[in-house]
Amino acid sequence: MNRIIGIVNFHSSPEINPLTDSRPLGSTSFLGRYGLCDFALSNLCNSGISTIGLLVKDHQRSILKHIGSMDAWLSNTKLGQEVVMYNEAGHLHPESNTDINNLRENDWVLYDASIDYIVVVPAHVVMTMDLRPFINEHIERGEMVSVVYAQEKNLQTACIGSKVLNIDEEGYINSISVNDGSTKGKGNVSLGCYIINRLTLAEMIRQLLPKKPYMSLGELIVLGVRNDMFKVHASKYDGFYRIIDSFHHYMEYSLSILEKENADELFRPDWPIYTLTHDTPPATYGKNSSVQNCYVANGANIEGTVVNSIIGRNVVIGKGAVVKNSIIFSGAKIGENAKVENALIDKYAIITMGHGVSGSKKSPLFVHQGAML
Amino acid sequence: MKNELIALILAGGQGTRLQALTRKVAKPAVFFGGKYRIIDFALSNCANSSINHVAIIGQYENGSLNNYIGSGKTWGLNGVNTSAALLSPRQTEAGYEWFKGTADAIYANLDWIDSVESEYVLILSGDHIYSTNYEEMLRTHKQSGADCTISVMEVPMEEASRFGILEANEEGRVTAFKEKPKQPKSNLASMGIYIFTTRVLKQYLIRDAKDENSSHDFGHDIIPTMLEKGKRIFVHRFQGYWKDVGTISSLHQANMDLLDPTLADELFGKSRNFPIYSADLPCLPHYVGKNASVSASLVNQGSVILGKIDHCVVSQGVEIGEGAVCTRVVLMPGAKVGAGAKVTDAILGPDSVVAEKAKVEGKPGDIALYTGRQ
Repeated sequence: MNRIIGIVNFHSSPEINPLTDSRPLGSTSFLGRYGLCDFALSNLCNSGISTIGLLVKDHQRSILKHIGSMDAWLSNTKLGQEVVMYNEAGHLHPESNTDINNLRENDWVLYDASIDYIVVVPAHVVMTMDLRPFINEHIERGEMVSVVYAQEKNLQTACIGSKVLNIDEEGYINSISVNDGSTKGKGNVSLGCYIINRLTLAEMIRQLLPKKPYMSLGELIVLGVRNDMFKVHASKYDGFYRIIDSFHHYMEYSLSILEKENADELFRPDWPIYTLTHDTPPATYGKNSSVQNCYVANGANIEGTVVNSIIGRNVVIGKGAVVKNSIIFSGAKIGENAKVENALIDKYAIITMGHGVSGSKKSPLFVHQGAML
Repeated sequence: MKNELIALILAGGQGTRLQALTRKVAKPAVFFGGKYRIIDFALSNCANSSINHVAIIGQYENGSLNNYIGSGKTWGLNGVNTSAALLSPRQTEAGYEWFKGTADAIYANLDWIDSVESEYVLILSGDHIYSTNYEEMLRTHKQSGADCTISVMEVPMEEASRFGILEANEEGRVTAFKEKPKQPKSNLASMGIYIFTTRVLKQYLIRDAKDENSSHDFGHDIIPTMLEKGKRIFVHRFQGYWKDVGTISSLHQANMDLLDPTLADELFGKSRNFPIYSADLPCLPHYVGKNASVSASLVNQGSVILGKIDHCVVSQGVEIGEGAVCTRVVLMPGAKVGAGAKVTDAILGPDSVVAEKAKVEGKPGDIALYTGRQ
């Protein structure tokens, strides 16, 4: 789609410590092979959007490493481009490190007359969304700002921290609140996807920002709705989505993709999810390995027992080791006869021979990157 | 910019002994090791040896091979002063003809060799499985002041008559060469990998092209003529795993060889950072089901295993149904094994379908090739 720039917003992802100590949630590993932002990038690419900006908040290193040569998510590499947008001043003044200030720092987006619409998608939401119907609806209705939302069944147990939209009969937003987990029952949850006319955004920033210099895009829209400055249209998305809002949800949602129904809903043959290749050979299984209900990435070497788990690239599971209900990030080693249960073992960590680590389903254990236990 | 070493990969072979597997693809494009095509090894070896210009010379079914190689990006051959040249027989002022032999295939593309300018030329086959750094062979070539260096390995004496057999003196200089001798006098076999000093190669190719009695083949014509004329030909001794997967049984065996972790590491170069590059398609990591059993196997991403596999090589897109049992099976991309089916000692071709509860049974000495779609 011409005249559209897609923005992958890393600012709007929550910090989920300790998982995001050294990386943004958007470039955090998912299912052993992907980075979470692969969904946003692939959704933009599959929707025919060829100019993509990555609105980077911090940990630029981790994102650049995952993005690689920047063309894994482009169709025609001449027509399209991927640009990293970084707010240098935000590094010194964290409170001003917002998506809006980042866009101001990279303000060519606001001035480029070849762009009519700016489509912002969050870097961390797991979904396969065709953006074209929402963009077309936005254009046909002649809207200024559109938000894509989904209907969440129980606000108490999911989407904590997300914005909840109150929508009128004409499809405009009346009011916006933040889900703090106190309200039972269903609600319209913003997916953090915005379609905004470029000139509207430029005007919003010009008018509102001098008063509220540390506001995020989401907050700016809340302010606009509250003060009745512009109408915000809401479009409903009916597909699969998971908003990662906590460490235990990261674990739960990841492992839920082991269920076939979920995997089939998220991964569709007509909607490939692209990621960077690491040229790792296929996984190898030893003579006495026993593996059930697992995703196993390439380069892994499994000699032990693994159940209900996700095994990342180049992971080694030693003889006699038992891994259950866990996620092992790439390059980690589980020594012979070691036991791992309800845990996330971060990259390059080593669980030594015979050692046992375990958490519970509600409170999974986290083993830091490079740790040796 | 003048190069030191460029490579030409001979990839035009039909590979008829691979039967249905090469009906629509050239032998170098046949799938191998769960993730790869055979030519990935030659191409990755070139890339990892810092050879920046690589020509791939095709003939038989070269369309799909050329599409696979494309810009050479998969092997990093799309950088500055770097190229992957896709060459095949073409119409020229002189007319048009198929390649008459391996030497003719290079002779017909001398203009490419001229255009990239290189001191030395590496000529190799696109259908061998091995991992090597050609820089070591180039060192041998330069140190011995050779006109031509041939990579050789020792083979069991009883198999020697299947190869081009060399005799060499103590310094490694070749004293005799015979293609597939009935009574071999040595067990030093040519691996069909040559480094030539460019000037000498051109001289002998041009001479050979004019010779009406020549079969225009490196082993039969070029090397013997050079020896006769007293040119300096040396051997470079290769140590390690090397396999010409020419038949269904050798292709199956080479896949099974990968189940030895030491050998897999040698070939895939994981611990030496010498990877084999291959096309990478979007897909999930592989999934192993709730009632599945996987042992002593090599499994690529994008496959789904619900049944039981032992000693298998599983490629992308493979699906093995509940209760299916596969033993010593090579499953090529997209092969489907229905629930309750039994497959033993077999190669399942790309996108083949074994029906529910069906049986495909080979024997250890008689591997079944199954390509049915049903």
